[in-house]
Amino acid sequence: MSMKSGPARRRASLVLTATLAICTAFGAQAAMAQQRLLETGSSLLYPLFNLWVPVYAKTHRGVQITTQSTGSGTGIAEAVSGIAQIGASDAYMSDPLVRMHPTMLNIPLAISSQMINYNVPGLNNIHLKLSGPVLAAMYSGRVRFWDDPMIARLNPGVRLPHKQIVLVHRTDGSGDTFIFTQYLSFSTPSWNNTVSYGTTVSWPAVEGGIGAEGNPGMVNACKGTPYSVAYIGISYKQAIEAAHLGEAAIENRSGNFVLPGPRTVQAAVEATASHTPRDERISLIFAPGKWSYPIINYEYAIVNARQPDAQTAAALREFFNWALSPTEGNSERFMKEVGFVALPAPIVALSKAQIARIQ
Amino acid sequence: MKFRAWLALVAGILPASLAAIVVFLALYSWPAMHFNGLGFVVRDTWNLGNLYANPIMRHGTQVQPGATYGILFLIVGTLASTLIALAIALPMGMGAAIFLAEAVPAGLRLWISFFVELLMAIPSVVFGLWGYVVVIPFLGHHLYPLIAHSLGKMIPFFAEPTGSGYGLLTAGIVLSLMIVPIIAATLRDALVSQPVSLREAALGLGATRFEALWKVMLPGTRKTLIGATFLALGRALGETMAVLMVSGNALNYLPHRIYDPVSTMAAFIVSQLDSALQDPTGLAVRSLAEIAFVLAIISILVNALARLLLLVWNNSQRSVMV
Repeated sequence: MSMKSGPARRRASLVLTATLAICTAFGAQAAMAQQRLLETGSSLLYPLFNLWVPVYAKTHRGVQITTQSTGSGTGIAEAVSGIAQIGASDAYMSDPLVRMHPTMLNIPLAISSQMINYNVPGLNNIHLKLSGPVLAAMYSGRVRFWDDPMIARLNPGVRLPHKQIVLVHRTDGSGDTFIFTQYLSFSTPSWNNTVSYGTTVSWPAVEGGIGAEGNPGMVNACKGTPYSVAYIGISYKQAIEAAHLGEAAIENRSGNFVLPGPRTVQAAVEATASHTPRDERISLIFAPGKWSYPIINYEYAIVNARQPDAQTAAALREFFNWALSPTEGNSERFMKEVGFVALPAPIVALSKAQIARIQ
Repeated sequence: MKFRAWLALVAGILPASLAAIVVFLALYSWPAMHFNGLGFVVRDTWNLGNLYANPIMRHGTQVQPGATYGILFLIVGTLASTLIALAIALPMGMGAAIFLAEAVPAGLRLWISFFVELLMAIPSVVFGLWGYVVVIPFLGHHLYPLIAHSLGKMIPFFAEPTGSGYGLLTAGIVLSLMIVPIIAATLRDALVSQPVSLREAALGLGATRFEALWKVMLPGTRKTLIGATFLALGRALGETMAVLMVSGNALNYLPHRIYDPVSTMAAFIVSQLDSALQDPTGLAVRSLAEIAFVLAIISILVNALARLLLLVWNNSQRSVMV
């Protein structure tokens, strides 16, 4: 080195400086790089996440959240495998699954409900009355026509057509299937003993039954198929109205026929939420109470309590705390848009205790 | 010598990977095969059991209560949609090939051939989306009622109700559009490469243009046609996305009418994988692997059948010549 002449040394130091400068620039870039979070799963939660993320991104520039609607089954599977940081699910994880993956948390973010929709030309503007046992009979293939005495008995004075019922169900693993089959199981013993409930069930073989992908697929199949019946998450209410589909009034535990709405859902929440355990895995289906809507559920974020690094864990905690805040994510302006109901304060406290465990 | 060794290695990778896949599938799905038995291919129930209950022991295997795996409806759906696709694609592909080779002016031929081959390059999900958005409403609301009113009067399999448009016939139609280019392009090449002297000889003997084509040119391409058909068959058997989007994804029942929803093996594996991953015993995923194994076996059998057909046909031709 000492042999080098002046200009050569100057050039060398210039190169060194330039290299350093570039390195520093890259380093700064890396430090400023955005924390990326991937959310995937429930097509019912998807519209809410899509409302949340742009608003959240405005005040939290360091975090980039990508959302995907893939179905609750995928949400749980990809959160467990670590592909996604947030798995959205309408269903909580089963006991055996939690035993297999003890670090997975089931964190409620909001309360949702499910509509029973139908496409019976001429009757879509009235709310046909349906009950758990009648829906179970339809989905088991015992009731095949819309003018079946079982349906007629619930709807006196309605001229029901003698047309074959087309059953629509979800093909993908779905929290909507979970809560719908839970309603059938809790209200109809024979369904409970045969099909039972789950994110996927073995649907009884009924000719013509259609399997659809995601809530959008359910809306599309119901819209395109006269005399069909489907179960669709409340966040698709606008799509249902745009498609002029019917929305059934559903029989609750007290024998009243109710539609999903803030009042009936709130009534069901009041009747059941106080039983929520610390890990918050509980069904809110078929709640007691005069005006309780029978098909409501917690919308879960499935998250691993053990994150690969501290930044990711911090970003997740910050986002969830924002989402649960009654003035931010759980505020009326978000909830109303998708037909959800905000979590009651005691449940928020339970969720926050779980969020604190993300490390 | 070294070059030859390299070639052998590269060439050997292909059969080795096929063997590796089949062996892997067999090994991985072994617990499922053991549990399901032969009933797997003749039962009509796919039931993961109660995933929210605790696993139980049955036949020495840990399973969810109520779990049964049977895929007859998938095998029927796969074969039926493939056969419908072939029944539509074979005449269409042959017609297109003959048209391109014989009837189109040379200047235009290049362009139309180009488009036919382009059709082959379209990803299947594009066909699926198009089927979902355009074909299903059209077929369900217009064409199927028409078929039911005419053909359905005579054959119960075509009778009403025509359903929603999601189903066996729709899957067959979308599949056929995907495999027509394979048949058309391959057969056209074979027709064009037939010696001109053959046609000239036929015409010289007084054959009409049609007779020359039908009796002289086409028989010479029969081997190519069989090959292309089985290539198309292979694609239709394994097609996943497009079928998933238009077939209606029937579960646990066989189609009673040509409009009824069906599921195919390939589409079912995709649509059920996430649900299967929630089975804590892992048997559901292994049963899906067993479906893949059965599908691989069917595909291999179909291809072997094609070889056999060619062999038998070649022999019989030789004996005629002798």
